[in-house]
Amino acid sequence: MTITSPTFMHNSLYKRFLAILFAAIAPAAIFAQAAATDIVEPPKEFDPSSWDWVSILIWVLVALIILVIARAFDIGGLAEKVTGKKIASSNKVNATVGIIILILGMAGVFWEISNHGKHLLLWDAASEHGATIDSMFMVTFGFTFVVFVVTEILLFYFMYRYQYSEKRKAHYYFHNNKLEMIWTIIPAIVLTFLVLRGFDTWTKITYRGAADHEDYNKDYEIEVFAYQFGWKARYCGEDNKFGEANFNFISGTNPLGVAVSEQVDSLVVSLNTQVAELEAIKAAVKDSTAVWQKEYNRMVSTGLSKAYVKDFAALTEKLNDVKCGAYERKLEKEIDRKKTNLTRIANYRAMPDVFNKAGNDDRVVTELVLVKNKSYRFRFRARDVIHSAYIPEFRVQMNCVPGMSTIFPFTPTKTTAEARQLKGNQEFDYYLYCNKICGAAHYNMKIKITVVENEAEFNKWVAAQAPLVAPPASATPAAPATSDSTATQPAIAIR
Amino acid sequence: MSTASLHTDHHAQDHHDHHHKETFISKYVFSMDHKMISKQFLITGIIMGCAGLIMSLLFRLQLAWPDEQFGLLQTLLGKWAVDGKLDPNFYMGLVTIHGTIMVFYVLTAGLSGTFSNLLIPLQLGARDMASPFMNMLSYWFFFVSSVVMLSSVFIETGPASGGWTVYPPLSALEKAMPGSGLGMTLWLVAIALFIVSSLLGGINYISTVLNMRTKGMSMNRMPLTIWAFFFTAVLGLLSFPVVLGAALFLIFDRSFGTSFYLSDIYLEGVGALENVGGSPILYQHLFWFLGHPEVYIILMPALGITSEVISTNARKPIFGYTAMIISLMGISFLSFIVWGHHMFVTGMNPFIGSVFMILTLIIAVPSAVKVFNYLTTLWRGNLRFTPAMLFSIGLVSLFISGGLTGIYLGNAAMDIQLHDSYFVVAHFHLVMGSASIFGMFAGIYHWFPRMYGRMLNNNLGYFHFWLTFISAYLVFFPMHFMGLAGVPRRYYQFTLLKDFEVWADTNKLITIAAMVGGFAQLLFLYNFFNSIFRGKKAEQNPWQSNTLEWSAPVEHIHGNWPGEIPTVYRGPYEYSRPDREEDFFPQYVPDESAPETLEPVKTKKAPKTEELAEKQETSTVFFAAIKKVFGLS
Repeated sequence: MTITSPTFMHNSLYKRFLAILFAAIAPAAIFAQAAATDIVEPPKEFDPSSWDWVSILIWVLVALIILVIARAFDIGGLAEKVTGKKIASSNKVNATVGIIILILGMAGVFWEISNHGKHLLLWDAASEHGATIDSMFMVTFGFTFVVFVVTEILLFYFMYRYQYSEKRKAHYYFHNNKLEMIWTIIPAIVLTFLVLRGFDTWTKITYRGAADHEDYNKDYEIEVFAYQFGWKARYCGEDNKFGEANFNFISGTNPLGVAVSEQVDSLVVSLNTQVAELEAIKAAVKDSTAVWQKEYNRMVSTGLSKAYVKDFAALTEKLNDVKCGAYERKLEKEIDRKKTNLTRIANYRAMPDVFNKAGNDDRVVTELVLVKNKSYRFRFRARDVIHSAYIPEFRVQMNCVPGMSTIFPFTPTKTTAEARQLKGNQEFDYYLYCNKICGAAHYNMKIKITVVENEAEFNKWVAAQAPLVAPPASATPAAPATSDSTATQPAIAIR
Repeated sequence: MSTASLHTDHHAQDHHDHHHKETFISKYVFSMDHKMISKQFLITGIIMGCAGLIMSLLFRLQLAWPDEQFGLLQTLLGKWAVDGKLDPNFYMGLVTIHGTIMVFYVLTAGLSGTFSNLLIPLQLGARDMASPFMNMLSYWFFFVSSVVMLSSVFIETGPASGGWTVYPPLSALEKAMPGSGLGMTLWLVAIALFIVSSLLGGINYISTVLNMRTKGMSMNRMPLTIWAFFFTAVLGLLSFPVVLGAALFLIFDRSFGTSFYLSDIYLEGVGALENVGGSPILYQHLFWFLGHPEVYIILMPALGITSEVISTNARKPIFGYTAMIISLMGISFLSFIVWGHHMFVTGMNPFIGSVFMILTLIIAVPSAVKVFNYLTTLWRGNLRFTPAMLFSIGLVSLFISGGLTGIYLGNAAMDIQLHDSYFVVAHFHLVMGSASIFGMFAGIYHWFPRMYGRMLNNNLGYFHFWLTFISAYLVFFPMHFMGLAGVPRRYYQFTLLKDFEVWADTNKLITIAAMVGGFAQLLFLYNFFNSIFRGKKAEQNPWQSNTLEWSAPVEHIHGNWPGEIPTVYRGPYEYSRPDREEDFFPQYVPDESAPETLEPVKTKKAPKTEELAEKQETSTVFFAAIKKVFGLS
């Protein structure tokens, strides 16, 4: 296996380039080993006739035009003699351009504010705490906008006003302690004000999520669960209690890993089957290697290796893996992982409080419904990578971190219908977006949130959602939930 | 005494050098001369900058016209742009590598590597760096690191694509996204090499500044550039090792089955992983312990260069030399204790969040002092608009615009809404990205004669500046508004999200402005490479500057000065002294009768000539017009 074999590249152009690069830096190429195989793809990928020659030509032309312009200025520049007059004239031009750009720029700023201002969110928050963030924003905007306008105008005004003249000397002025004190202390005072106000806003929003906060038990908890690439939410059901959840319990039918006996039992069965299968494969490695080797020889001898490049590459890699033992190690690792999973499930099974049926009536849903003016606490979990739950209209954002639950307390104040009316857009909906880079489909990872007017509408919706375990048919249907009055028990994610 | 013995040493070496002709390899490739190394850093930085810029144009194309098909893209990118539409995974890769290249390779190594190497010995009066060999190693580690980083773009699974911060678990799990495979490994290797390079450089800069100043060059006579490079090097030395640790843990998690950053993970198609007990947030703490000083590592050299250029071209002492140093020191110190403001919404204890908020907003004070000092330096100056001066003024403008939005983001409460939105993109591209690149351009235009012995073309410089300046604002200013409307960053397209449809036109405007800005850089490239060979021959001191580097001969010699190193008699910013005929008074010109500084002139009015009166009149008209436009009168 040659280390510098550049076959992991996908285009001949890159291949050539990289062949040179990698020859030059062999140490780095060692890492390429993992992906490298000995198969060289046929050179048909290098096909200039399929290139977009029109665009290439256009871009080359544009570049050439720029070069010509550059050349033209350059010749002008070579002829230029550095005289005081020349300095003065180019000075005047630059200073004037500065003033023009200042005026156009400021006009642009005002245009932006008046034109795009209506799309900005920061003055009609749809949540209680959002309003405080908005007023914090307005105060900060007031201060900074004044500073922005004044300093930018001064900068360009000075630029115009104090152009070079041979006839005068600059004002020899290198320090003034009084002045410097003033512009240290004034920003310090303004910032102290902003810090205090920000501190107040921040603590009022976030401290409510602490378990010892007086309002903690007033908030209705909903679990929001992130995965690549989507969201799920869990409501606690009639018993006002969340069932325990753990990543070891996650399966296709139990995406949140709630401790529900029925689900976990079938996961155990499936894991055991998988372990058995993997062990069978491991036991038969010798036999299957012979088959693969035969297939390999056949592909080489019949020339199929040239026609099915990718299959052949995969086969070769598999054979290489077998030879160096990586194949078996991979299988062992897989088996170990599944066995660990099984052991952990068994351990949790033995704990008295985990499979306590609290989760049986939990509802796992694919969209959120909230009641206006009811205080909520979202508890976030993620199962694979970091995501971030972002609801711009509510001024809510919190990362969802695997291995750790995070919270955000808030109270929606506008129903979806009201928001639609306000925005004059009948199709408007609240969405929770993912706001932490999480993979290819990050840009489309969202869940709809509907805010309804009253508890009755919510109850109607929640009753229509299936609980994790259907109640026995003989049991009388549960009375409509009164989940607003009593506190919900927070789920304790077991570790 | 030590200086004297140093001199004799170098004389001996000079003598020695005359007998050996330098080979091509020892002069241009494995050079130990700080001037050549600075050129190597600069050219590598420019090449990396072009790569980063092209990447940004590619993903801007996707954001502006998400439904278009560009045949050219398929030609260029092959399977990453099937049917001329950028692949989402590759989009992420471009975003990641653009960020990494710009932050580390262009604005850290390209900026401070170039100018620290060039200016520290020349402005302090040293024959070379304290350790020329380490200096050479520093460049070659950087070079290899650049090659590894660029090569990662060309591999089959694509480059690292978890954002330039490469947060685990996304970057730790090969199955989480294609870029987290080999691409991520190469990223980590490249960054590890980069850190080595940065440390070798930093140690050198610090020891040179502390030990190798010429006679008379006390610390309080050092130009502000050197102060800035010095603090930058200290920041780098203290913070880069931490991120090396973070990267090592990540390598362990990826390859050796440890669980520093991993816990409770279930991966689609793999199942529950064995890792428990780690915390992804730990990585963020370690990363941002570098990450925040890093933005000052980027910005401070640019501020130092700007101080020097503004003072020289305003023909006026920099206002508040001591205040400038103290604010640099303050910024440096504070930058170590504010990293948590990148993590307000990670779920860390809100109390810690409020502490970080307080510390963060304090940074605004030294920053404000710097801005006011720049403004006062311009006030009643005698301004020459060389391209370098224009870029410095541009830096001040961008520093104001971008710095002010930091007050929003540093406020934990507002950060809930603005975190990871386009507001953040706008903020750091203005204050850290554009401002620093403007500082770098200012440095290139100002010291090009010192580096190559030839002048850059001024007219091209003007066009380059104005186009770049306008496009920087057109690209980044509208992004504030997108951010305020809740548009998340790092989204591949917005066509599936009705809320953000209104921004389609803005996205097009931004992309077009970015292209104009991109093409403006072609003017610069032409000017740069053409002038190296065919520019006008430079004079000894083309800007009539005070600092020591302009006393060295235009032709480069090893050891910088023939004969003895000049002695320094006063501070670097003695421009337009009333007791001197000329409007500059170089540090190295002996004049025992002249006091080191004069007291500032008390008269409020500058001497008026007719021309000045005329000028004043025009400016009053302008000012009145401005007042009218904004309804201020």
